[in-house]
Order: sequence, then structure tokens, then C-alpha cells
Amino acid sequence: MIRRALPLLFVLLCSVSLLVGVKQLSWAQLFAGSTDAWLTLTASRLPRLAALVLAGVGLSLCGVILQHIVRNKFVEPATTGGLDAAKLGILLALTLTPEAGALGRMLFALVFCFACSLLFVAIIGRLRVQHSVLVPVIGLMYGSVLSAIAEFHAYRHNILQNMQGWLLGDFSRVVQGNYEVIYLILPIVLLTYLYAQRFTVLGMGQDTARNLGINYVATASLGLLLVSVTVSVTVICVGAIPFVGLVIPNLVALQFGENLQRTLPIIALSGASLLVACDILGRVLIYPFEVPIGLTAGGLGGVLFLALILWTRR
Amino acid sequence: MITLKHIHKAYAGKTVLHNVSVQFPTRQLTSLIGPNGAGKSTLLMLIARLLKPCSGEILINGRNAAHYRVSEYARQVATLRQHPQFSLRLTLEELVAFGRFPHSRGALNEEDRQQIDTAIGFLGLDHLRGAYIDELSGGQRQMAFLAMTIAQQTDYLLLDEPLNNLDMKHAVQIMRALRRLCDEQGRTVILVVHDINFAANYSDHILALQGGAVRFCGPVAEVVTRSRLQALYGLDFEILRSERGFVCNYFNPSDQEREHEQG
Amino acid sequence: MNSAIIRHAIWPLLIALALAFVLVGSGLDLAYVIPRRLLRLAAMVLGGVCVAWSSIAFQSITGNRILTPAIMGYEALYLLLQALLILTLGSASLALLGHHGNVLLSMLCMLGYSWALHRWLLGNGKNNLYFLLLFGLVLTLVLTTFTQFIQLRISPGEFSVLQGFAYTSFNRADGQQLLYSGALVLGVGVVGFKTLPSLDVLALGRDQALSLGVDYPRYVRLYLALIAILVAVSTSLLGPTAFMGIFVANITYALARSSRHRLTLPLGCAIAISLFIVAQFLVEQVFNYKTTVGILVNLVCGAYFLALMIRSRGDA
Repeated sequence: MIRRALPLLFVLLCSVSLLVGVKQLSWAQLFAGSTDAWLTLTASRLPRLAALVLAGVGLSLCGVILQHIVRNKFVEPATTGGLDAAKLGILLALTLTPEAGALGRMLFALVFCFACSLLFVAIIGRLRVQHSVLVPVIGLMYGSVLSAIAEFHAYRHNILQNMQGWLLGDFSRVVQGNYEVIYLILPIVLLTYLYAQRFTVLGMGQDTARNLGINYVATASLGLLLVSVTVSVTVICVGAIPFVGLVIPNLVALQFGENLQRTLPIIALSGASLLVACDILGRVLIYPFEVPIGLTAGGLGGVLFLALILWTRR
Repeated sequence: MITLKHIHKAYAGKTVLHNVSVQFPTRQLTSLIGPNGAGKSTLLMLIARLLKPCSGEILINGRNAAHYRVSEYARQVATLRQHPQFSLRLTLEELVAFGRFPHSRGALNEEDRQQIDTAIGFLGLDHLRGAYIDELSGGQRQMAFLAMTIAQQTDYLLLDEPLNNLDMKHAVQIMRALRRLCDEQGRTVILVVHDINFAANYSDHILALQGGAVRFCGPVAEVVTRSRLQALYGLDFEILRSERGFVCNYFNPSDQEREHEQG
Repeated sequence: MNSAIIRHAIWPLLIALALAFVLVGSGLDLAYVIPRRLLRLAAMVLGGVCVAWSSIAFQSITGNRILTPAIMGYEALYLLLQALLILTLGSASLALLGHHGNVLLSMLCMLGYSWALHRWLLGNGKNNLYFLLLFGLVLTLVLTTFTQFIQLRISPGEFSVLQGFAYTSFNRADGQQLLYSGALVLGVGVVGFKTLPSLDVLALGRDQALSLGVDYPRYVRLYLALIAILVAVSTSLLGPTAFMGIFVANITYALARSSRHRLTLPLGCAIAISLFIVAQFLVEQVFNYKTTVGILVNLVCGAYFLALMIRSRGDA
């Protein structure tokens, strides 16, 4: 039932997303061939929708990969310090090599995100207490230390206010010409599908993985690299969007189980739908102004996360 | 005298105790025994007022327990539960001093100090006075908590599985101390104990529960019999009596029983 | 022995720090510099007392060494409430309700939150510590998101008023607010001090406390109420202090080597005040205002908390 309804819902959300906005747009105008309407569509609405869908797919897949590598269902880029590491990277790029441009920032974000993720996985492996809830707690703390470092640095360079603004997830700046980096998520998604089986095995633990002839370290590193690329791309293009990668895979797992090969398409589609829905919500909530998606998705995701914590306690 | 009348207790719709009416003899040591889930601990917690009965009443010295004030009750009844995790940094002496709280509300007077010393001496813990509770072994810690309960100077002492996780030596030390509390100081001790041998050798009185109801109740000599224990635990018992006490052997079934099972 | 020395040495140290803070580089300007600094010092003293007292008492009644009111979402709730007030009544809300009205309303909300928290999460004492911690951290994030959302809805002028609330600072409070806060803290202190021995007993847990004749539910309610007042005072005076409480409490336990509140509470207050003075001093003299107390506190205390969690053996 849900399986069949999901694509329909997704298409519906996408078409609504194309029509909602400050500038009125209707199918009638498009059919009439209004150049103005078409320009709005191709220069702003379509890029925005593409960015939303890709970010949604990418972030929810990131969550899945991390959850299998760390073997904890409460992790995702926001609860492993990944988001904060990427922010820190961008900040350093801005202050150290301001002339490097978007690519330089992206590279910095990628390197920081990857390094901090590796460190996080190493820390988690050495914990004396194995408790499923301790991992996200440490991840959140780790993230807040990273962001405290970023704040310290930003304040010294007088860009704190600035940083808080552009690091909050926001799709309103996405227009033709400045968002194309986000297409990097496409190959990531393909790679994730290819490696889905291996990530499932990874989730069964190091020993099982080795028994089945999978190089644990290499596969885990590849997974973290895929996550880092996705996170840094989304942070560069649209800013930080927390909790999507956590909530979606968990909700999907509750309904459909955890065999990645079967559930990945559902996860991807649900992630995209959630972001598109949050974006629509953000656009109508205080029309004609926009609520950044970092707030709508963060708020909605956070509430769902809380519900999930309370639910698992029972 | 502690008297229970028609006590009924249920958690979330599941009956744990059903129409329990018993009397606990004063100045005697009573053990609550029975299989897991029989309601022993629940019964003890009801007497301790840590749980409330759904219906029925508990009388302490003829007065309904529910009508006592919390502070008043603490001067009549002391309870010791298990403390598996204890991370507070308190010395043994400081912990025992808490036993005087019902009397002095935190401001110790000369009599309080004396009672603390007596309680520590009673259990032979003088050498551990300044030791931190979280650094003691499980057995020593249990002794420390018992000392606190003793310092409370109440007529009634309730202990919930005080022998859990203790080695034999500490278990015997605790049971002997409880015995002396009854014999020398005339206190009434009620405890939940799993090991039937400890119950049989140190108690005056035994109350056996099964499935939330009283199975049997009476002086040790009367109730520790093969047929009663067999029915209670569903095990084949052999009871050996010597001048040093009882041994209830239930480890291996007798040949007769074995044949019975195979046949 | 060692702990006794520390306990006695901290007070002269604190006084020396306070004097240094007020006098160093002041040019003995009694007309402006020193009075300004005294105001800041008063804010630090009151804030320090609030943070230390509320954190240590909260940890005692919840039976652990990790959770603090700030982590359980109290501060985020306070900020959300302030944002809501400004949204519904405008920045005139402060004038409209008056300072008393605002403080009173905040405290009522915090009391309500305390009650809800105790009723559903802390009350049965069976919830896992890490679970509570995760809940608190995520709740804080969600409440902060809502606050940010409200910030979008309000005008820029009001925004800056609100922005001011969101950072730790000692310059916020004026003399009058300090006076009211001081009176409140004093009131809490008197009640708290009278019931101090009971707090020791509460720390033993529900069953043991009841068995020792302490009316556990009643005293827990009383203490949650006191804590709510202290957090409201400290957040309105200094802004959010996040991980400061956990840092102060754990340093206190380590130095006091005792769990008796008669020792830990005063020591905790002294440590918190000293830390505030040192942080402010660093900001003013070393970093030359190129950083803020809030950022320093987050950095140091956050790192400490992270280390604490990583080393945790699960029995904290």
C-alpha cells in the first residue's frame, strides 16, 4: 500500500513544489507558452526541485551508510559531527584561502568531514560502555565541540553572524548557475546502490564482514568518503539540514525491514519527499517570506527523532 | 506487631498479591520464601510503604500503616534494599549517620553519635569507618548499609534479598548479625531470602508465598518439611537434620524420583 | 586532608580573583570603571551560585553526575519563551509585563516544565541515563530551532533584543535586575539551606530516602521548584550556560571528595564564580574581546563533557 502510494505522493509534492512560490505560476501560463513563466520554471523552480530531491536522497542515504558502519540506528551526519566538521572546513577555507572559491571550500569541507568522521568511528570503537544511546550522545557532543571551535574562529574573524546565516539549510538561493555542484550526489547514489549489499554486511559487524570476504576497513572508509562528499556538497549548496538521514531510514526500517537492496529506493524516495514537503511548508508558512529548510526540516526531523527515542524506550 | 489484612496488589492489571492476610510475630526473624514471581519482594515493599496496596490494610502496632507520617514511620520501620550501583562519595561513617536522620533530621547529637558507633561496632566495621562506600567490596557495602539500618533503631527491620551476590562468608555474617538483633535487642526482622538453607537455619518463622498467595506459614520446625518444600518449589527435597541445623538438599533427585520420571 | 586544604584555599583564591578582576587596569576609576566592574562581578556571583547550586542539586535528585538543567532543555525553553513573548507582545513585552511579570511568567513555565519532566521522564527513576541525555540534547536542538523560526518572524529591532539573550554575557543585567535576582537567590538559598540534610538523603534514592523518613515526592518537588527558579535567574542574568554546570559539578566532586551537600554546594559556587571571573578576564585581557565568555565556556566545558562521556563506564 505505502509502497505504491509513495511514488504518487512524491510526484504530487514535486508538482506542488513547482507551482508554489512568491511568483505566481500556473499550468495554464506554461501551456500558453509564457516566456516569463518558463523562465521562472527553468531558472528557479526546476533547479530548486532538483537540488531538493538530490539533497533529500543524498542525506537519507548518508544516514543509512553511517548507521551500518557505526552499527547504531541513531547516527547520521548531524549526530556524528559530520555536519559541524563540514561547516568548520568551509569556515577555514573562507579565512585561509578566500580566493579559492566554491571548489576550494568544497575540498576543505570534504577533507574535514572525512577526517572527523574517521576520528568519530575510531572513538566509538574504543568506548568502554557499549550502549546504543551513548553513541549519538557522544556524536552530538563531538559536533558541539567542533562547532564551538568554529565559533571561536569565526568570532575572531568577525564572521560569526555571517556564518550562522549561510550555514542554515536554505534552498531559496538555489538558482540556475550556482547549484550544479549538487549533481555530484548522483554518482554517490549510484555507488551506494552498487555497494548496498556490502554495507548491509558491514552492519552485521567486523567479524561477519571478514568471514564473508569483505575488507572491512576499505569498505567502511569508502562509505565514510561517500558520506563526506554528500555532506560537504549539500552544506556548500544549501547549508546544513539535520535529522533527515536519521528519521527517514528508521521510519522505513520500521515498516519495511533493513535489507538495503530492497529498502534503498524507498529510503531515497522518502528522503526526497520529506525535503520537498518541508520546502513547500517553508514557502507557505509565512508567505511571502520563506522559512529556511534548515528550520522546517530540522524542527520536523527533531520532533520525529524525539518521538523515535521515546518509542524505542518502550 | 505487623498484621496484614486482605492485602491485594496488582501492577498494570496483573495481580501480584491476592488476599494475603498474615501476622508477623514480634521479636522474631521471619523469612519470606517462594519461587520467583511469588510476590515476596512486593509484600515486603508494601510493608515498607514503598508501594501502596490496591486494597486491604497493614497494621503496625495496631495502627494502620497508611496513617503514619513518613518521618514517624521511619522511626518504626527500617528498610534495606539492594544498591547495585552506588556512586556517591560517602564514607562508611557518613552513610551510617544517615540512619539517624529520622531522629535528628541531620543535626547529630551525642546520642546519635553513640548509636552510630554502636551500629558500626555491632557489625565489626570499625576498621572501615573512614573508607569510601564506592570503594568497598559488595559484601562490605551490604554490611555498611545494614549498619545504617541498625542505627535507625527501629523495632522492625525489613530486608529485601540482603544475601544477593554475596559470598558465603559475608552471607553468614549478615544472617548471624540479624539473628543477634532479634535475640539481643529484641527487634523484629523480616527478610526475603532465596536460599532455603539460610532461611531454615537462621529464621524463627517462615512465610512461603506462591503465585501471589500464602502457601504456608509457621515456625521453622513445623513448616520445613519435605512435602511442603517439594510442593512449593517443584523440586525433590531431602531434609537432613543434625545438631548444627538443617540441610535441605534439592540438587539431585533421589533414585526413586528418577525412576518415576523415566517411567 | 587534601580536600580540606582545597576547600579552605578556594575562598582566599576567589577573593583574590574578584579583587584582581575589579582593580587590575581600572586606574582606580571609582566614578565609572569600578562600579561597572562591580556590576559585572555581581552578575557573575549570582550566576555562579545559580549554575552550581542548580546543577549539583539536579544531579543529586536524578541520581547521576551527567544531567544538568541546562542539558535537559531548561535554558532552551527559557529562550523560546522569551522569543514567544516578543513575537506575541512585541519588544514592548518587557515594558508591558514589566520585569517582574516576565520573570514571574518565566518561572511559572520552568516550574511547569520541571513538573512535566519529573512526571514523565525522571519520576520512575528507571530511565537509562544516556536515554535521558540524548532526549535532553535533541530537545534542546528542537527548541532552539523553534526559537530561530520565531526570530524570522520578528522585526530586526526585536531580533537584536532576542539575539542578546542567546549568548552568555555579564553585561546584560542592570542594577535593579541584579537586586531582584539577588533577593530570589537569597530566598532559594534560605529554603535550600534549611533542607540541606534532606538533600543528602534524597541523593540515596527514592526507596532509601522514604525508608529514612524523608517524604521523597514532596522534597523532590520542592527541589525541582528551587532549581527552576535558579535556572530562570541565571538564564535571565547571563544567558545560556550550556555545559558549564556539568563541568562545575564534576570538578566539585573531584575536589571535595565527598557527596555531602554541606561541602559540595559552597565549593561548587566558589568554583563556578572563579571560572566566570577567569573566563571574563581572559576575554578582556588576553583575547582583547576577540572572543566571548559563551564561546570559551562552550569550548572548554564542551570538550570536558565529551571526554567525560568517552571515558564513561556507565555507572556515572
